[in-house]
Amino acid sequence: MKLTSLPKARILVLFVLWLALLGLLAMFAPAFFQPAVLRSILQFSTVLALVSLGQALVVLGGGAGIDLAVGAMVSLVAILSMLAVRAGLPGFLLPPAAILLGGLLGLGNGLLVTRLGLLPLIATLGTLFLYGGLALALTGGGPVPGVPAWLFPFGRGTLGLVPWHFLAFVLPVFVLVALILSQTAWGRWVRAMGFRENAARLAGIPVSRVRLLLYVTSGLLAGMAALVTLAWFGSARPNIGQNLELESLAAVLVGGVSILGGAGGVFGVLAAVLFIVSLKTAMQFSNIATTWQVGAIGLLLILVLLIDRRTVRWNA
Amino acid sequence: MTPFVQARGIGKSFGGLKALDGVDLDIHQGEVLALLGDNGAGKSTFVKILAGAQPQSRGEIRIEGRPVAFASPHDAARAGIATIYQELALSENLNVVENVFLGREVVRRVLGFPWLRRRAMRQRVDTLLRELDAHIPDPLARVGGMSGGQRQAVAIARALDQGGRLVIMDEPTAALAVAETRKVLKLVRQLAARNCAVILISHNIGDVFEVADRMAVFRRGRKIAERQRAATTPDEIVALITGAHPDARTADLAA
Ligand SMILES: Nc1ncnc2c1ncn2[C@@H]1O[C@H](COP(=O)(O)OP(=O)(O)O)[C@@H](O)[C@H]1O
Ligand SMILES: [Mg+2]
Repeated sequence: MKLTSLPKARILVLFVLWLALLGLLAMFAPAFFQPAVLRSILQFSTVLALVSLGQALVVLGGGAGIDLAVGAMVSLVAILSMLAVRAGLPGFLLPPAAILLGGLLGLGNGLLVTRLGLLPLIATLGTLFLYGGLALALTGGGPVPGVPAWLFPFGRGTLGLVPWHFLAFVLPVFVLVALILSQTAWGRWVRAMGFRENAARLAGIPVSRVRLLLYVTSGLLAGMAALVTLAWFGSARPNIGQNLELESLAAVLVGGVSILGGAGGVFGVLAAVLFIVSLKTAMQFSNIATTWQVGAIGLLLILVLLIDRRTVRWNA
Repeated sequence: MTPFVQARGIGKSFGGLKALDGVDLDIHQGEVLALLGDNGAGKSTFVKILAGAQPQSRGEIRIEGRPVAFASPHDAARAGIATIYQELALSENLNVVENVFLGREVVRRVLGFPWLRRRAMRQRVDTLLRELDAHIPDPLARVGGMSGGQRQAVAIARALDQGGRLVIMDEPTAALAVAETRKVLKLVRQLAARNCAVILISHNIGDVFEVADRMAVFRRGRKIAERQRAATTPDEIVALITGAHPDARTADLAA
């Protein structure tokens, strides 16, 4: 029982948070409930959802797994792929190039963790500054324009209320990852190594190789997120991934993934992403400054960890 | 018939310490062999060498007459030697079926993904547990909530399904209550009945006399005695372990 109760407790918390937010909005800002706002929430959710999925996988795989570089990867991939376009890369190669670049940056993280044995927190803190700094240095801080116009409908268009990138990226990758986690041997390996690495190794699971692939996957998803920002804004911005590490971690933990690894699912993470973006949107709607929004996410993170401590104590 | 395992002149040194010295031992299929001896006598070191967890410093291991050199527990497992590491080897967040097949799941490859074949695995585990007469009511329950004896049964089912022909158990009952110990000892006999070879390390003389066909006593890295159960008594074995027995004194003098 002890093992499931922790994520379950958090899913319950998330549910309560949702109810509270909706209740408050219904009372004080009923104008929030209009199609345009829902559309905007989904529009803003895609990038966070993609990097949170990568974050969730890295955390699930255990070994103190964490990917603080997700935001920096989004920024650097956006910059590098647009610099490549300006240097003559044919426009139609931009999407695969962005995703591939993300995979390479993720590979860098994975190698630091699995080959050099660095603590993930330290390794990805290093690449957060390395990748993020590089994105700024390469551009002097300014945006890189010139995204091919044929990409814009992908970044800005919707089917009904749902943005194309949400339909084309978020839903398929979440369903695919959920299937892999629950229906394939790989998913079992991730849960086993996240929970008890020694047992997994003795059972012959190639723990280091799986972990490397989890960091690569996080990079690939950051690459997809970068592509979405390009198609949305029409230019690469060197700071576009700012704060994504904090927000994705909040989404992963609020969504019920154990920070120790091995337990949790991805649809809780998606629900948490939608909650976080709704919270931010609601604050925007109520004219609360952006700086406070970051503070609110931090508060949320602390709240969830506090609840964890209590649950663990109850179960102990 | 050639013994399944023949160990000849096995020695192991840790720096200046001789943990094992010239151990000869045969292990037969269908037989439970108990290793006895004081703490530090070298029992665990000996089975770790058999299990591929450490290389020997001297001597030779033969499996069915052929010399082998194990570089890892994986090599040993391929040769049919399964070791039941006590707590370490099970993942408590997974259920019985998941643990039995962990790392070697039965899958169907579709689009490159290894999709689990749950029904096939479930049926196999049901069969194994029935054959072992293990008391595990729900194979889909997490191992984390199970008793020590049930966990041993899961580990044994896993070893059997891997095609283990020698199952090594290093103090499997050390942390178990009496009733649980009974069940594990029963499982040990089941393994032998299936023509497995079993090596059992235990400090409990009563348990050993209940299940073992043969006993080997280790003292200070040497094998000082080997007895068929029918040809010895608990008193003699205890005397060999503690050093009160004349054979043990002779061995001490020779060392
Ligand atoms: N990895 C090791 N490094 C150094 N000494 C060891 C190591 N493993 C075992 N020993 C020593 O070898 C001797 C035999 O140990 P062990 O095989 O564990 O004995 P037993 O299992 O019979 O109690 C002991 O003196 C022990 O301290
Ligand atoms: Mg020992």
